[in-house]
Amino acid sequence: MESLSPLFDGFRVALTPAHLGWSLIGVVLGTAVGVLPGIGPALTVSLLLPVTFSLDPTSAFIMFAGIYYGAMYGGSTTSILLNTPGESATIVTALEGHQMAKAGRGGAALATAAIGSFVAGTLATLGLALLAPPLVKVALLLGPAEYFGLIVVAFAAVTSVLGRSRTRGVVSLTLGLTLGLVGLDPRDGQARLTFGIPYLLDGIDPVIVAVGLFAVGETFFLAARHGLDIDELVPLKGSLWMTREEWKRSWKPWLRGTALGFPLGALPAGGSELPTFLSYGIEKRLTKHPEEFGRGAIEGVAGPEAANNAAAAGTLVPLLTLGLPTSATAAMLLAAFQQYGLRPGPLLFEQEPALVWGVIASLFIGNTLLLVLNLPLVGLWIKMLSVPRPLLYGAILVLASVGAYSVHSSPADLVMLGVIGGIGLALRLGDFPVAPVIIGLLLGPMAEQQFGRAVSVASDSVTQAFARPVAGSLLVVAVLLVAWPMLAATLKRFPLTVRRKP
Amino acid sequence: MPRPGLFATALILVVHAAARLSAAQGAPPASSAPDLTIVAPAAPGGGWDQTARVMQQVLRESGLAKSVQVVNAAGAAGTIGLARFVSADAGNGNALLVTGLVMVSGIATNNSPVTLADVTPIARLSGEYEVIVVPKGSPYQTLSDLVAAFKANPRAISWGGGSAGGTDEILVRLLADAAGVPRSGVNYIAYSGGGQALAAVLGAHVSAGVSGLGEFAAQLESGDLRALAISAPGRVAPTGHDSAGTGSGRTARGFNASAVPTIREQGLDVVLMNWRGVVAPPGISRAERRSLESLISTMSKSREWQEALTRNGWTDLTLVGDEFGKFITDETRRVVPLVVASGGESKRDWFGTLVLGALIAAVATAGMQRFRQRAMEPAIHATHAPLNRRSLSLVAAAVVLEAALIVPAGFVVASALAFTLVARGFGSRRIALDAAIGFALAAVVYLGFAKGLGVSLPTGPFG
Repeated sequence: MESLSPLFDGFRVALTPAHLGWSLIGVVLGTAVGVLPGIGPALTVSLLLPVTFSLDPTSAFIMFAGIYYGAMYGGSTTSILLNTPGESATIVTALEGHQMAKAGRGGAALATAAIGSFVAGTLATLGLALLAPPLVKVALLLGPAEYFGLIVVAFAAVTSVLGRSRTRGVVSLTLGLTLGLVGLDPRDGQARLTFGIPYLLDGIDPVIVAVGLFAVGETFFLAARHGLDIDELVPLKGSLWMTREEWKRSWKPWLRGTALGFPLGALPAGGSELPTFLSYGIEKRLTKHPEEFGRGAIEGVAGPEAANNAAAAGTLVPLLTLGLPTSATAAMLLAAFQQYGLRPGPLLFEQEPALVWGVIASLFIGNTLLLVLNLPLVGLWIKMLSVPRPLLYGAILVLASVGAYSVHSSPADLVMLGVIGGIGLALRLGDFPVAPVIIGLLLGPMAEQQFGRAVSVASDSVTQAFARPVAGSLLVVAVLLVAWPMLAATLKRFPLTVRRKP
Repeated sequence: MPRPGLFATALILVVHAAARLSAAQGAPPASSAPDLTIVAPAAPGGGWDQTARVMQQVLRESGLAKSVQVVNAAGAAGTIGLARFVSADAGNGNALLVTGLVMVSGIATNNSPVTLADVTPIARLSGEYEVIVVPKGSPYQTLSDLVAAFKANPRAISWGGGSAGGTDEILVRLLADAAGVPRSGVNYIAYSGGGQALAAVLGAHVSAGVSGLGEFAAQLESGDLRALAISAPGRVAPTGHDSAGTGSGRTARGFNASAVPTIREQGLDVVLMNWRGVVAPPGISRAERRSLESLISTMSKSREWQEALTRNGWTDLTLVGDEFGKFITDETRRVVPLVVASGGESKRDWFGTLVLGALIAAVATAGMQRFRQRAMEPAIHATHAPLNRRSLSLVAAAVVLEAALIVPAGFVVASALAFTLVARGFGSRRIALDAAIGFALAAVVYLGFAKGLGVSLPTGPFG
C-alpha cells in the first residue's frame, strides 16, 4: 500500500461493465433503502446474502459497497425534505436541512449534502487506501476510558447548543437517557424499567424512536395544527442550486466533517452518529451566522453529511485490515466475507489483492455514480414537497410502518411507534426540542457501557481508569466546552483577548 | 415516495433474477413435500437467522420441501420468538423454531414463562467451539498460566467476550467453577458484537478474550492473537474445519487449529459448544413428529447442507429426536445455575438512579420556570394554541388501525386503510382515490421488500 499502483489495478477490476453494473445496482438499491426509514444497509445486505452467494465475491462486494454508500445519501434526502431521518446517522441533517427546505432552500440543502458526501466519501476512501494500517494501530490503543471521554465530549458539544432554552433541552436529553435505560442492564443482564413486558427486554430500538419522534410525531403535530395556522412551506426560493454564498459557506464544513468522520468511523466503537453530533456542534460554534442555526443554516447540513459519509468509509478501515466489524453493516459485510471463505484481516490484502482493491476502487466509482445520479434528481426530489399533504403524510406513515414492523415481525413495534409518536407530539406542543431525545438515547447506553468497562478493566478503580492522558484530556475538553460560554463572557471584558477556537 | 419504491422494486427483482439464474436449479419437490415455516427468533444476520435461511435454501433446492418461509421474530435472547411460537403455532406439524444454547440461558435470565420443555425437540444441527485467546504480547503462554493468575487474584484478570449471559460468559463461568474461583470474583466484560470484543483483546484492554473460533481465526492466523485453549472435547481438525470455515480451498496459513490444546488437556474439565438446533410446536401428533425428524435428518446428510456447514464454518452436531431432548435437559441443568447466579449478584444501578434523578430535576425546573413566566406575563400564556382534534384523532386512528390489522388483514390492506385515514385527516375528500393510491403504494412496497428482499411482512388472507 506504499504506492497507488494496486489501486489502479483495482480500477481495472472495478471498471469492467459487469462490475459497473453491480455498482450501479448497489447504489440505487442503497439509496432506496436509505430513503425508507428503518430499513438500512445492514438489513438489506443480510437479506441479500443468501441470494448473492451464487455471485462471484468481487461482484457481490462491489454491490454491497454501493448499498452502504447509497444508504448514506438516501437517508439525508428524507431528513431534509420530510424531517424524517432514514438512518440514525442522518438525524442531525434533519435539524437544519428541513428548516432550509421549509424556507425554499431544499435544493441547496440536497446539493450541499450530495456534494459534501461525495467530497467526504472520496477523501475518506483515499484515506482508506493510504492510511489504513497506521490508523488502525492508533485506533486499537484507545480503550473504554477514551471512548467514554469521547462520548462525554459529544454530549457537551451537542447539548450546550441545542434548543433555545437550556432547561428544555435538558428535559429532552434526560428523557432520551431514560428511554435508553429501558431493557437489560448491560453489566449483569438485570431488567430495568421494563415493567414486566418481555417486549421491552431488548430496549427500545433507536430507529423506532427516531422514526416515531420525527416522522410519526411530525405527522401528528401537523394534523393537530391542520387548518389552524398557515404553514409557510415554500417549495423553492431563488435558484434550485447552491448560490455562490452557499458554496462559500459549505466547503469548510465538508472538509471539517471529513476530518472528524473518517478517524472516528475507523475507531472500533466510534460509529457514524457520534461524528455527526460533533460536527454539528463544531459548525455551530465556528459559524459567522449563529443566528441562522435552528432556522436553516447550510453549515449544519454540510458538516454532518460529510461526517457520516466519511465515517462510513472509516468503518471499512478496521474491517479490511483487522477483520473488525465496528457497525451493524460492517458485521454483515464480515459475514459475507466468511461465506466466501475469505477472512478479512491482516492477510487479506496479500491473499486477495484483486478483490480488496477492486472493492476500494468501486467505492470511488460508487461515490461518483451517486453524485451523478443525485444532483440531477434534486429537482425531482424538490417536487416531492409539492405532493399534496394528504398523500404525502399517508405515504410517510405507510413507509414508517414497514421499517418498524420488519425487524421483529411484531405489531408491538407499531404500537411503540405510535407511543413514541405521541411523545413527539407532546414535545412539539410543549415547545421542547426533539433531537436531544435521540442523542440521549443513542449516547447514554454507550456512555454507560464504556464507563462500566473502563472501571472493570482498571480493577474497579475509577481514578485509575481515567488517569490516562487521552481519556483525561478528553474529559477536560468536555468540561471546557460546557464552561466556554461563561468563560467567553469573562474573557470579553479584556479587549486584548484573541478569539480562540474551542 | 412512489418513485423510489417502484425503482427499488424493479432493481431488487433484477438482482434476484440475476442471482438465481446463475444458481443451480433445484430438484422438483416430491408431491408429499410439505410447506414449511421456519421461525428465526432473531433479527436477520445472526447465527439463528443464518441457520434458518440456509435450511430454507437447502430444503428448497433438494426438493425436500415444497416451500419454506422464514419468519424473523427477534427479541430477548430468542424468548420472545419462543413464546410466540408456542402460542401461535401449537399443533402445527409444519413449523420449526431455531433454538440454541443462548436461548437456554436467556430463558433463565429473562424469567421466561415459556421454556424449551414446552416445545417438541426435533434435532440439534450444528455449532461452534469456543476459543480462549490472549494478545501477542501477553505474559500468559498456556491456559494453566492464565488460570494460575486468575486463581491468585481473580478481579485482576478481565475476560472480554460477547453480551452478558451468552456463550462466552457461560464458558468463563464454567472455567471459574472448575478452577474453584468464587462466582463473584469473575471480572467478565461484555461487549456487544464480536468486533468490539476482538478490538479489546487486540488492544490488550482485557487480559483474555473468549469467542467462537471463527471470530478470531484471521488474527490467530496472522499471529496477532495467541490461542490458549479450545472448548472442544478433543483436538479439532488441522484446517480448523470445525469452525474456522476454510471451505473454498483457501486454507489457513500459519495457524493450525489442531495445535490448540483443549481445556480438558490443561487440567480443567470443561467442554462447551455454541450449539443450534430446531424444535417443533407443542401438541403435534407422533406421526408429524417422526416425519419432521426424518425430514431434518435427511437434510443434514445432504451434500448441500454439508457444503453449507463448511462454508459457514459450522461443525456438524446432528442429534435427532429424544436424544436431543435429553441433551437440552442436561444443558439446562448445567447452564442455568451459572447465569442465574451471575444475575443474582446485582450491582447497584448508579447510572439508572442518576438519569432518573436528572430527569425529575429537569422536569421540575422547567415546570417552575413556566409557572414563574405565567405569573409574570399572564397575557401571553393565557390562550393555549388550539388543536384540530378531528384531524389528530383520524391520524392517531390510522396508527392504531395499522398496528391492529397488519397481521389479520395483511400489510397491504392495513396500510391502504391507514393511508386513507391519514389523507382524510389532512383534509382530502376523495376517499376512493386515496384508498386506491394507498393500495398501490402498499402493494409496490410489499412486492419490493417482502417478495424481493425477503423482509417479513404479513400477507393477510388475500395473498
